[in-house]
Amino acid sequence: MAKISVDGVEYEVSEGRTILQALDDLGVLMGQVEIPHYCWHPKLSIDGSCRLCQVEIEGFPKLQIACNTTVKDGMVIRTQTERVKKAREGVMELLLVNHPLDCPICDQAGECKLQDYAFEYGVAHARTREPRRAAAKRVDLGPTIVFDQERCILCRRCVRFCREVPKTGELAVFARGDRSLIDTLPDQPLENDYSMNVADICPVGALTTKDFRFKIRVWFLNDVPGVCTGCSNGCNVYLGVANNKVYRYVPRRNDAVNETWLCDEGRLSYKAIGAPDRIKETALRGAHGLAAATRGAALAHAAALLKRAVDAHGPGAVAGVASAHACNEDLEVLKRLLDGLGAQGCVPVPTWRADDLLRKPEQAANAAGARALGFGDPAPILAGIRSGAVKALVVLGHDLLLPAFLGGAEPLAGLEAVILLDTHHSELERAAHVVFPARHPAERAGTLTNHAGLAQRVEPAVEPAFEAYCEGEILAALGAALGLTGFGVAPAAGAGRAVA
Amino acid sequence: MQSAPWVTNYLTEHFADDAFRTLDGYRARGGYEAARGALGRAPAELVELVKNAGLQGRGGAGFGTGLKWSFMPADAGKPKYLVCNADESEPGSFKDRLLMERGPHQLLEGLLIGAFAIGAEKTFVYIRGEYAEAARVLQGAIDEAYAAGILGASALGSGFRHDVVLQRGAGAYICGEETGLLESLEGKKGQPRKKPPFPAQYGAFGMPTTVNNVETFCHVPHILRRGAEWFRSIGTEKSPGTTLFGVSGHVVRPGLYELPLGTPLSEIVFDHAGGVRSGKRVKGVIPGGMSMPILPADQLDVRMANEFLRERKTMLGTGGIMVMDEDTCMVRAGCIITYFFRDESCGQCTQCREGTGWLHKIFQRIERGEGREDDLAVLEDVAAKMEGQTICAFADAAAWPVQGLLRHFRSDFELHLRERKCPFAHSFEL
Repeated sequence: MAKISVDGVEYEVSEGRTILQALDDLGVLMGQVEIPHYCWHPKLSIDGSCRLCQVEIEGFPKLQIACNTTVKDGMVIRTQTERVKKAREGVMELLLVNHPLDCPICDQAGECKLQDYAFEYGVAHARTREPRRAAAKRVDLGPTIVFDQERCILCRRCVRFCREVPKTGELAVFARGDRSLIDTLPDQPLENDYSMNVADICPVGALTTKDFRFKIRVWFLNDVPGVCTGCSNGCNVYLGVANNKVYRYVPRRNDAVNETWLCDEGRLSYKAIGAPDRIKETALRGAHGLAAATRGAALAHAAALLKRAVDAHGPGAVAGVASAHACNEDLEVLKRLLDGLGAQGCVPVPTWRADDLLRKPEQAANAAGARALGFGDPAPILAGIRSGAVKALVVLGHDLLLPAFLGGAEPLAGLEAVILLDTHHSELERAAHVVFPARHPAERAGTLTNHAGLAQRVEPAVEPAFEAYCEGEILAALGAALGLTGFGVAPAAGAGRAVA
Repeated sequence: MQSAPWVTNYLTEHFADDAFRTLDGYRARGGYEAARGALGRAPAELVELVKNAGLQGRGGAGFGTGLKWSFMPADAGKPKYLVCNADESEPGSFKDRLLMERGPHQLLEGLLIGAFAIGAEKTFVYIRGEYAEAARVLQGAIDEAYAAGILGASALGSGFRHDVVLQRGAGAYICGEETGLLESLEGKKGQPRKKPPFPAQYGAFGMPTTVNNVETFCHVPHILRRGAEWFRSIGTEKSPGTTLFGVSGHVVRPGLYELPLGTPLSEIVFDHAGGVRSGKRVKGVIPGGMSMPILPADQLDVRMANEFLRERKTMLGTGGIMVMDEDTCMVRAGCIITYFFRDESCGQCTQCREGTGWLHKIFQRIERGEGREDDLAVLEDVAAKMEGQTICAFADAAAWPVQGLLRHFRSDFELHLRERKCPFAHSFEL
């Protein structure tokens, strides 16, 4: 450990770290200690080119860049002296010499470090009378990103990101001096599983995602902390919420889970929340197929179907299928319900293409949580369905339909009772006798356990525009209706909140 | 072979003789004897000798060569490299070209001694791409040296392995900056590296590396041959030895003059270069290549060594002396200088990338007669904001000439502002 003094305050920092790294480790950078910076990023290699993080260090005649100066025991650093302020003013003024200042039409406005730092550390008026550099305003870098070359301040975070994180290296600086431009090589677009992160780390409005740009001004957005449900990594995100709608996910830094990144598919998985194919009605199968029903009628019907199956075939004829997307609190209720009935449970877990960065093989947020509650391999239950031994199912979600499991709803056609709790429409409804609309993790409180066993809490970010339930609430009511021990009496309808 | 007259000393003594370019001719004049002697001594002793001689780097910064060599780790556990900076990209400088074209073996001998002193088994000579003839001559000399066993597995039969690789650049000023050079040498875009780490820790291909200028190496065999005392007897106390002053511009006899450091600038301009053409008067002289601040005619008494030039707020640089006569428009000169630095900035650091362009635009505007009252203050301020704040010294090199022009030729600027046009006759379109 080394002791350093920053503006008169002593800090114990790790040896071998640079000043910015050490202060970032302590969580005081841009909080207690203000050292503005552009090119430096905690998860990228040090570039040292923007020159904004210059500070005064005792014993050094010149200002030093805090990003590349290694701490030494006894180092005395000053970040707020006149010299430092002058240097920052200089950098800010020069950065703005060629910047188009098109904030009114720039999508970054409101979360732009050039705006913020110009306001905090710059000078109010421009002295340049020269024409600004004209460059391309809408460069299509690839399927996800649009680039405005005029706004770019050449911090090269995006270039380093592509080289160092996905290691695809699509971006480079072409030409030199004040003609420098970031671009891709011909026919080699910016296209990788993490491409959209360049928009997050771009401090200005140069790189924007095709998905989010021009959708809404960011100052209307409320950043709600949450967890991406795209896979079992459980990447931390902010849900950008306005008008009871999620507009985007952006990564929320958690060095133990996702550092500062998010994969593109995970990022776009927010679209599932407001998707048109959400199940919006409680439904009962009647003579003419599924028809809307009240919650009470649906519960009573579901309880009756299950009871009849148990009475006719014994508890072994009933099985439960957990969802690896559901929260622990709901799965716990499912587990108790199945135990109360003496029925078996399992969890089908969808998989996808994983990598060694963030994407984990299991494409669901709570597979580990489900397993920890005792939900196992679906094979025996699948066999029971196919053989006819299983007569009644309580199903959360529709992963059962995947080719790795049933491959479709046909094998369920002969079942006497299929009670479905799900967020999105699927073929499974064709076999369902009762359907309850479930809440998305963005619409409820609960916990999700990631691949490493880390349980992460989610809080409701939006409220569905239709009646939807936490699975646990319905399952508890079902348990009560079945008279199972430990379930008490059925709670009143429409509680619509988490059980935890 | 240049036709202009020149003044010679130990470095250039035999340059008029074509035979000196060949191995036999070089050996006939005692060539490679210094290296033979050096290879029998302890490397640390050689470093000490060069330190004692007080040899300063001739590439522009004037850093102590022996001291630089001593930064190399003794036992790095990995290969060490020596790099010869033959990029000579500073406008007004053409000494290294002649040193390579006329005395290639003198350079190779210096490289061999330097490599042995720092324990480098391989030397890269990074030569400016435009120097086709120098590259051809030097490669010929390298081939000769290999054939004669001077280079290769056992240099001069000493058992010390030394290889020399000649790498041609593609013509960027910044590739003369030592870490920009290393990047380019590695096949990357020529952009200086942030320091630390310094080349002695992490240089070419990540290995400990020392980079010295062509001329610096050329002095080394002479120091070996005649000793530190002899070397110190030439030049000034703080700046020993001779250097090659390349004189260009409006002089009667432009050319290369090898003179002791500390020679008065007036002596070089008037006695050796014959003064200004057509009987005109001197207006200003850039003393050390284009990046060094200009001096006005009344300061030519200055002695050409850093300790004296610093007092006049300029430096020796590469010794490229550019003389401008009384008809020169200093705003126009500034346009050309700032254009060059704008064009050559690598663009990494904010101040340099944006500042070089801004300076050039303001100069152009003043020259067009569209200058404003506060332009001079802005020029001074932008130059000050560029100075000393970037990864490499390029931004300084771009700011200093502007500061020099404003310091000594402010009246030229004011005339442009007042008359709203350039008051000088133009010899060419900008």
